Parts: sequence; C-alpha cells; structure tokens
Amino acid sequence: MIIFKQVNKIYSGGTQALKDVSFEVADEELFCIVGPSGCGKSTVLKIIAGLEDPSSGEVRKPTNVGMVFQSGALLPWLNVFDNVALGLRAQNAGWRKIKEETQKYIEMVGLNSLEQKLPRELSGGQKQRVGIARALAINPQVLLLDEPFSALDTGTTEELHKDLIKIWQQTKKTIVMVSHSLEEAVTLAGRIMLMKAGQVDGIFEINLPYPRREQAHSFIEEVHKLRHAFFE
Amino acid sequence: MSQPKHIHHYHRHMSISYPVSFRQRLYSLVVVPLILLIAAGFVISRLGGQTLPSLPSLSWGLLILALLATFLRLLLAYALALVLAVPLALLISHNQKVERVLFPLFDIVQSVPVLAFFPVVILFFVHFNWYNGAAIFILLLTMMWSIVFSVVGGLQVVPSDIKAVGKVFKLTGLKYITKVLLPSVVPYLVTGSLLAWAGGWNIIIVAEVLHTYIPGGSSSKDLFGIGNILVETASSGQQHSFFMALLALVAFVGLMNFFIWQKLLRYAEKFKFD
Repeated sequence: MIIFKQVNKIYSGGTQALKDVSFEVADEELFCIVGPSGCGKSTVLKIIAGLEDPSSGEVRKPTNVGMVFQSGALLPWLNVFDNVALGLRAQNAGWRKIKEETQKYIEMVGLNSLEQKLPRELSGGQKQRVGIARALAINPQVLLLDEPFSALDTGTTEELHKDLIKIWQQTKKTIVMVSHSLEEAVTLAGRIMLMKAGQVDGIFEINLPYPRREQAHSFIEEVHKLRHAFFE
Repeated sequence: MSQPKHIHHYHRHMSISYPVSFRQRLYSLVVVPLILLIAAGFVISRLGGQTLPSLPSLSWGLLILALLATFLRLLLAYALALVLAVPLALLISHNQKVERVLFPLFDIVQSVPVLAFFPVVILFFVHFNWYNGAAIFILLLTMMWSIVFSVVGGLQVVPSDIKAVGKVFKLTGLKYITKVLLPSVVPYLVTGSLLAWAGGWNIIIVAEVLHTYIPGGSSSKDLFGIGNILVETASSGQQHSFFMALLALVAFVGLMNFFIWQKLLRYAEKFKFD
C-alpha cells in the first residue's frame, strides 16, 4: 500500500520536480506512471524506493522494496547467481535459503542455464531478467521498475511484457512501473497515472483482460482515450 | 553533488591498455627493453665516466640479491601505501567538506618533490639508526599519491544506478564499501599501483644512496640494493658492471610487467562498467 499526499520535491538548485502529487497504490496492483522526460515520474519512484526524500507532503510506503533499473545496474564482476543473491546475502540469510530462493527466481525469469554467466555475456533482455529476479529475490512488498524496457528492441520488450504479467499474476506483488510509452502502460497496467511537469495529470483505469495486445480494437481504443486526455 | 571542476580531470582518463596477443606481450618483454638497452649501451660507451681501472665485474648472483633487496623494499612501501591510500581516497570521496579541505592539501603535498624532503627525513631516521626506514618512508610518500588520486577518480565514476542498487538492496556501511565501491575501482587501483611502482623504481636509485644526504656520512651506511649498485658503478666508471646492473634491472622490471601487471590489467577488465 503506497500513499502520496500533496508531495512536493524541490531540489537544491531550485528545480521543482514534484508539485502537489497525490495518489494511492493498492496491494497487488500493477500501477504505471507515464509521462514525458522531466515530468517527475522517476522522482516519484525514487521516493518510493527511499533513494530520495520528499520536501513536503505525506508519504506512506513499505520498507522492503525491490527495484529494476533502466540500465540494468548489474554488478559486472558477479555472475547471474551472485547478482540475484545480492539482496539476500546482504540480509545475512542462511546459505540454504539463499540457494533455494535465488534458484527459484532465476527459474521464474527463465534463465536457468545461465547461472554462471557474467553480465557482459548476456543480452539486454537477459540482463533485465536478472534485474527482475534480483528484485524479487528479497521478497519485497512492492516491485519498482524504472523504464526497464526502454533500451530494448520491440520483440524482446513484448516477450518481457508477457513474462512480467505472468510473474505478477504468479507472485501477486504490488508493482509500480515508470514508462514513457502509453502503449506499454496500457499493455500492462490496471491503473495508469499520467504526469506532466511535476504534476499529476490524471489517473485512469484500464479494464481489459490480459493479454491485451491480442484484442487489438479495445487496446487501441484505450490508448487513444489516454492520448486525448494527455494532450488536451 | 556538484564537484569542483579540477577533480574531473584527475586521473580519470588514464587508462593503460594491455597488449592483447601473446606476440604483443612478448614484444613488450623483449623488443622494447632490448632497444632501451642498446640505446643505453651506446650512450654509456660514448660518454662513459672516468676510465679508472675497472674492478672485476659483479657476479650475477650479487645482482639478483640486490634486485631482491630493492624489490622487498618496494613491496613493503607499496603495501603500506595501499593501507593508507585506499581509506584516504574513500574518505575524500565520501564527504564533500573533507574533500574540500584534504584534496587541495594532497594536491600540494604530492607535487612537492619527495627528494626535497629527503634530508629532513634522513636526519629523523638516522637518529634511530634506521636507514631502511628512511628509504621505505620516502618510497611510501612517492607511491601513495598515484593510488589516492586514481582511486578518487574511480570512485567518482561509479554509476549512480550502481550506488542506488547498494541502497535499495540494503548494502550499507562496510558491506557497501567492500562489495560495491572497492570492486568498482579495481581497474583504477591497478592503474594507480602500476604508476606507484614506476615512481618507486625511479626513487629507489636515490633512496639507497643515503650517504650523500647525510652531513659527514660515509658510503658504509648505504643500503644494499640495485639502486646503490647502479650509482656506484656509474660514478666510478665501471662501465661493464654498470651495464650488467642495468640489464638486470630492465629484465626484472620487464618480467614484472609481463607476469604481474599485464595479468592484473586483464583481470581488472572484469570490473569495468562498460
């Protein structure tokens, strides 16, 4: 459960990244924040992750958070297994638990045969899968994704969309994802928050069943609806 | 965090590339030293010192021992330099206030020629009759700055996402330093170490010939090592012995480069963020 109430964020240089941002994310929801560069969506995510603090306003967020980065941010000297196990090891979990959990999530993202590989031996899509496994391995209360698929090609992205939905349905995690693509948000989210220039522009519900792109007409309808709402 | 402009240019762009193929590595071991030695031989034979009757040449055994003695001094100084330099680098990078005070200070200290300090340091150690201490102290001061500045440069380019990973996955304090920061700067540590050793070899020539710095000192106080031998044989015109000593030194440094530095540079690639 995440609550933002009239949150403002002003950086030391004077830029106001967030202005009166208010929204709620319910448990087990897949919530997408969409907007152009500089709209403040990454700032919202960083505040949920605990990487930044709000300048004013009320924030309620869970303490145990997992995050997937646009750049992947895998440690280049660790192989897939050690990267995924990173958070568990930091918690000083027992080696048996570490082994079980790590292998479970590596399997969930479909990378079983690649446990010993180093990040430089992986494709962009595989790296993001490792990132997802790493974030899930610590059993977070919320999973944050910061434009995780922006740097990937369309085919890989579509694959990962499908897998992310599967993982979400399987683990029932609360997911908050930042994206610059309306299509991506409509493909994935139960609710979408549009942001512009640091402010919330609107929150919309998408009631289509999964998988969504298969139902071309309804999908395109929703995207158009949002586009209108966004650009008026 | 906005950084003073001058820091951006410090040591961040110094990357030493290693030869890729075995043939290239062999060139660096054989061809380059050979060229240097031939050039040195040429110069020596033209400009040789006074032609005193030369003593019988040094034995290779003695040279090897001398090299070992010098090497051990450098090794000890390097180990001490690491122990001091890495925490200092971490300290400077961690705190902007500390950085603003220490960085300019270190900048000045490292640019003052260490040898200018030499007489003062010698007098201090002479008091305790500890000449090796003086040499190692001088070496330490020479070697540590390359490491400090390289590591500081490396810490500045750790990607912000990587630092975020540390925070999000609860790697804090010592764990953050040992599992995130230090591995991130391994390539810079290797580069800094290589430069430190290069500087060390330079200084050792002088650091082992202490008697010239002590008022009324005699050569009996000199330290046993390759630097000492080089100076003594050169100044007394023993060309053949000098050349032997030079050859031994170049061979040793070449072998160190081949077996240690090139391997380390290749190992450090594993830690790069590209």
